[in-house]
Amino acid sequence: MKENYDIIESGMLERYLLGELSKDEVIEIEAALSRDSSLRAQLDQLEQDLETMAIENALTPPENVKQAVFRELQMNSDEKIIKIKPLKPVRTYTAIAASIAALFMLSSFWLYQKMNGIQEDLRVVKEQNNLLLEEKDNLQKDIEATNKWLSAVNSAETEKLIMKGNDLLPEATAISYVNHSEKTVILNASGLPELPADKDYQLWADVEGEMIDMGVIPKKSEMIVMTYIEDAESLNITIEPAGGNDHPTVSNLISFVSI
Amino acid sequence: MSEELTLINQLKARDERALSSLYDKYSAALYGVIIRICRNEANAQDLLQETFVKIWEKSDSYDPEKGRFYTWAYRIARNTTLNSLRNRPELIQNQDLSVYKNKEDDQSETAIDLTRLNGTLKQLEEHHQKAIELVYFKGMTHREAHEEMGVPLGTFKSYVRQALTNLRKSYELLSFLGLFIFERIL
Repeated sequence: MKENYDIIESGMLERYLLGELSKDEVIEIEAALSRDSSLRAQLDQLEQDLETMAIENALTPPENVKQAVFRELQMNSDEKIIKIKPLKPVRTYTAIAASIAALFMLSSFWLYQKMNGIQEDLRVVKEQNNLLLEEKDNLQKDIEATNKWLSAVNSAETEKLIMKGNDLLPEATAISYVNHSEKTVILNASGLPELPADKDYQLWADVEGEMIDMGVIPKKSEMIVMTYIEDAESLNITIEPAGGNDHPTVSNLISFVSI
Repeated sequence: MSEELTLINQLKARDERALSSLYDKYSAALYGVIIRICRNEANAQDLLQETFVKIWEKSDSYDPEKGRFYTWAYRIARNTTLNSLRNRPELIQNQDLSVYKNKEDDQSETAIDLTRLNGTLKQLEEHHQKAIELVYFKGMTHREAHEEMGVPLGTFKSYVRQALTNLRKSYELLSFLGLFIFERIL
């Protein structure tokens, strides 16, 4: 056991203060301190000097260090997992991200609406386009048909025969175009008066006294291609029940022309 | 002192307000020690933070019977700082005061000012001043410090003792003068 004098002279008190002593030395000196109040007083004085010295040489740390200490305490205390309190910058970033997301959603929705509108427009345009194409096709067919009978009618070999109505129907007129080399007959029936729904005009060819069917003349048509009959001597128009007849009703003959 | 004991008991009872009061009272003193050991303001701030977090976490192990709170906190600050320097030896090299001294420009002046010792210490003889600085403000052990000063260990120990005795006298004289002036004013 060391004497107090040794403890003081060996500088153990100072080293105890600084925490430089080994565990055994600490036990030794603490035992001595509890035994001897004068030694204890020496230590108290040393401690006080150390503190005074430190206060004289104190430097005030920046304010943020204290805040950092308490932030760290909070982070450590709440079991880390329960720590939900978001930090300010995180909140700011979240807000920015949310704003961007919202803007993106709005613009996406707007674009989607716009696209839907455009798709609808496109559908209508396509529909109209189809209608126009159909109409064009019809017109094309009409033109082809017209050209066909126009060339037939204008041909030098075509015979133009005017058919006038008899006493039964004096106002009736029809024009037939007969081409023997092409074997075509075209009839312009626009001059025939309109018939009731249950009646139709029918064209017949007279071959050696026998009437042969050349076809029913459709209502409301101008130029009609009829069936060409070989060796016909005359053309005859009768009024028959709607849809035509197998044999002409001679009493209803309204017009004829010799070829 | 009993007021401080109340604070200590509150600290042990995990009252953050007690830590806040103790911080206000001791942070500047501890910061002065830390910055003189590590010589780098940014590191010193981190280490001060670490010191107070340890004070909070280890408050149970502090026994007021055995010594002052400051002494206990000082040991934590000193050990924390010395450990960080041991783990990052490059800091000692880069932030050596001699580097600053060679540079006349930039912030070298503040760096020197921050680590220069003040107060009664300056009235001591130079070798006494040096002995105290090495042990209390550089965090050296007595063994390291006597080698640094180039004197035998026994001589060094006597330097420290003499320095502390002289300091004590100065403090007593100062407090006497202070009391004297205080009475005169009244």
